[in-house]
Amino acid sequence: MKEYLPILIVFIFVAGFAVTNVILAYLIGQHKNTRAKLMPYECGMDPVGTARQRFSVKFYLVAMLFILFDIEAIFLVPWAVVFKDLIYKLSKPFVFIEMMIFIAVLFIGYIYSWRKGLFEWNRA
Amino acid sequence: MQLENLGLYYWAIAPEIIVSVVGVIIMMVDAFSSRGARKLNAVIALAGLIAALVSVVMLDGLGSGSYFSGMVVIDPIRIFFSVTILLAAIVAALLASQFLKDEGLPPGEFFSLLMFATAGMLLLAGAGDLVTVFLGLEIASITSYVMAGYRRYDLRSNESSLKYFLLGSFSTAFLLYGMALTYGAAGSTNIQKITAAIASGQVNYPALLLIGAALMIVGFGFKIASAPFHLWTPDVYEGAPTIVTGFMGTGPKVAVFAAFIRVFVIGFGPQDSEIGIQLHTTWVTVLAVIAALTMTIGNVIAISQKNIKRMLAYSSIAHAGYALVGFLTGDFAPVAFYMLAYSIMSLGAFAVIQLLARAGDQRTEIADYAGIGFEAPALSFSLAIFLLSLAGIPPTAGFMSKFYVFKTAWDMTPELRWLVLVAVINSIISVYYYLYPIVVMFFRPLVPGFIKPRIAGMTMIALILTLLGTFYLGIMPNRLMNAMSRPPAVVTQITVK
Amino acid sequence: MVPLSWYLALSAVLFTIGVVGVVIQRNIIVLFMCIELMLNAVNLTLVSFSRYLGDVTGQLFVFIVMAVAAAEAAVGLAIIISLFRNRETLNVDEADLLKL
Repeated sequence: MKEYLPILIVFIFVAGFAVTNVILAYLIGQHKNTRAKLMPYECGMDPVGTARQRFSVKFYLVAMLFILFDIEAIFLVPWAVVFKDLIYKLSKPFVFIEMMIFIAVLFIGYIYSWRKGLFEWNRA
Repeated sequence: MQLENLGLYYWAIAPEIIVSVVGVIIMMVDAFSSRGARKLNAVIALAGLIAALVSVVMLDGLGSGSYFSGMVVIDPIRIFFSVTILLAAIVAALLASQFLKDEGLPPGEFFSLLMFATAGMLLLAGAGDLVTVFLGLEIASITSYVMAGYRRYDLRSNESSLKYFLLGSFSTAFLLYGMALTYGAAGSTNIQKITAAIASGQVNYPALLLIGAALMIVGFGFKIASAPFHLWTPDVYEGAPTIVTGFMGTGPKVAVFAAFIRVFVIGFGPQDSEIGIQLHTTWVTVLAVIAALTMTIGNVIAISQKNIKRMLAYSSIAHAGYALVGFLTGDFAPVAFYMLAYSIMSLGAFAVIQLLARAGDQRTEIADYAGIGFEAPALSFSLAIFLLSLAGIPPTAGFMSKFYVFKTAWDMTPELRWLVLVAVINSIISVYYYLYPIVVMFFRPLVPGFIKPRIAGMTMIALILTLLGTFYLGIMPNRLMNAMSRPPAVVTQITVK
Repeated sequence: MVPLSWYLALSAVLFTIGVVGVVIQRNIIVLFMCIELMLNAVNLTLVSFSRYLGDVTGQLFVFIVMAVAAAEAAVGLAIIISLFRNRETLNVDEADLLKL
C-alpha cells in the first residue's frame, strides 16, 4: 500500500486547496446577494425556461480554444513520465528545453488569440 | 546515448523549421501591428520561402539518409518535390498580396496559413514513416480547409471550406485506418522496415496488409482527386478564392504524390516474396484502372463546364490521372517532372483568372471572357499560353511533361501500354475544352461591363515567372531531367543513420 | 486474455458505424462526430497492435492522432460557425450553392 501514498497526498492537497479557497473567499470577499447571484448555477445558462433555446456561438469559440490548449497535456504527460529515464540517456538541458520550445509555441498561440481579442466576451 | 544516435540532426528538417518559424513570425507581426502590414507580411513570407528553397538545395548536396529514427529521409524524391512545393508557395505568396488588397481580407492569417501549409507539405514530401506522412498530410490539409474558407462572408467560400473539410477528414480517416492495418501487418510504421518485412515475407496477416493498402489508396486517391474519389474537387475549387484554388490544386497534390510514391513504390514495392508479388500486382492493377478512370472522367466532364474554375478543376482531375501513369512506372522522376510542370502552368492560369474575376470572383464564367483578347492582350495571351500548355501543345512545359511520362511508361512497363494509349487519346480530347476559352476570348464580340484589371508589381513577377517556367521546361528540359534521372538504387537504398 | 482479433473486430465495427453515419446523417455536427468516431476506432486498432507487437510506436501514433483530431475539431467548429453565421442552418443538404 505504501506506493499509493503519493496519490493520497495529492487527494488531500487537492481537497485542501479547494476548501481553503472557498473559506478564504467567504472570509475576505464582500457579500452582496442579488437576484441573479442567488439563482441556481448552471454554467451561465438560465436554468428556468425552455430547454430548446440556442446556445450563443461564443460558447463554441471558447470550446475551440479549450480543445487546443487542453490537448497539450497528451504530449506533456508522456514527456514527464519518461523524463527521468531520458535525462540519463540524453543531456538534461536538452530534454527540458525541447519541451519548453513546445510550450513556447503554445504560448505564442495564446498571445495571438489574446491580441486578436478572442478572450473579450462581448467582441467575439 | 548521444543525440546523434537518435538521428536528431536538426539540419535534416531545416526547410520545415525555417518555414514554420517564419509562419510564427508573421503571426506575431500581425498580432502586434495595428492595421494590416500586408506588404511587410508578404516580404517576410517570400524571404522565408526563398531561404527554405536554398536550404533544400543545400540538403541535396549532403546525400541520402534517414534521420530522427527514420521519421524523416533525405533522398531525391524529397528534394525535387520540395522544390516544386516551395516554388508553388512562392508564386502563391506573390499573387496573394494583390488578392488580399483587392478583396480587403486580413493579410496576416493568410500568409501564416500559407507558411504552415507549406511546412506540412514539405514534411509530407520528406516523410520516412507513416506517422510523419499522417502528420504532414494533416498539417497541410487543416490549413487548406481554412484557406478555402478565407473569404469569410461569402457563402460559396464557406460551403467550399465545409465540403473540403468534411470529405477531407473523412478520407483521412480511411488513410489512417490503412496505416494502422499496415502497421499491424508489417510490425512497423517505418517505410524502410515495411519494405524489409515485405521483402522477407515476414508479414503477420497478409490479408490485413492488402486491406491496409486498399484503404490507403482511398485516402491518397482522395487527396490527389483521382476518380472515383474526385467528387469534392469541382465544388471546392469553384467556391474557394482563386489564389487558394491554384495553391490547393498544386502544393498539396505534389506533396501527396511524394508520400504516395514513397509508401507504394518503395514501401509496397519489393517483389521478393509471395505476399510482395501479390501486393504489388494488386496495387498496380488497381491504380492503373483508377488512372484510366480519372483521366477519362476528368476530361469528358470538363467539356461541358461553363465556369472556368470548374473546368480547371476537372482538368486538374485529368492531370492527376496522367501523373498516376508516371507513378506506375515505378520511377519517381516522371511524376516529379510532371507535377512541377503542372504546378507552374496551373498556378499561372489561376493567376490570370483571379485578375479577370475581380473582387469576390464575380466573373468566372467562360462567357465573361468573350472578346477580351484584344482589350487586355497581356493577360489573354498569358492565359492562352497556360491553357495550351495544359493541353500539351509544344513547345510548352505541358507537352514535354506528358511526353516524358508517356514515353517512360511505354518503355518501362510494356504491360501498361494500353494505359498510355488511353492517356494519349485523353490528351487529344482535352485539347477541345482548353481551346474553347481561347476561341471565346479572341473571336467573340466584347462582353459588356469589362474593366481592364490592374496588375500589381508582385502579381506581374508571378506571371512572368510562370510564363518563363512554362517555356523553360518546354524547350530546355534536359538539365532538369538529367538531374532527376539518377540510378534507382540511389532512391530506394537509404543508409540508416 | 482477450485475443487481438476481438479488438480488431470491435474497431472495425466502430469504424463502420462512423462511415455509415457520415453517409446517412444530415446534421453537420453529427457528421463531425461520426468522423471523430472513425478516428477513435483507428486509435483502438493502433493501441491493440502496439500491445500485440510489443512496440511503442503504435501508442505514439495515437498521441499524434489525438492532437491532430483536436486541431481538426477546432477548425471544423470554426468552419461550421462561419457557415452558420451566414446561413443559419446546420443541414448539409441546404449547403447547395455549388451544384455538382
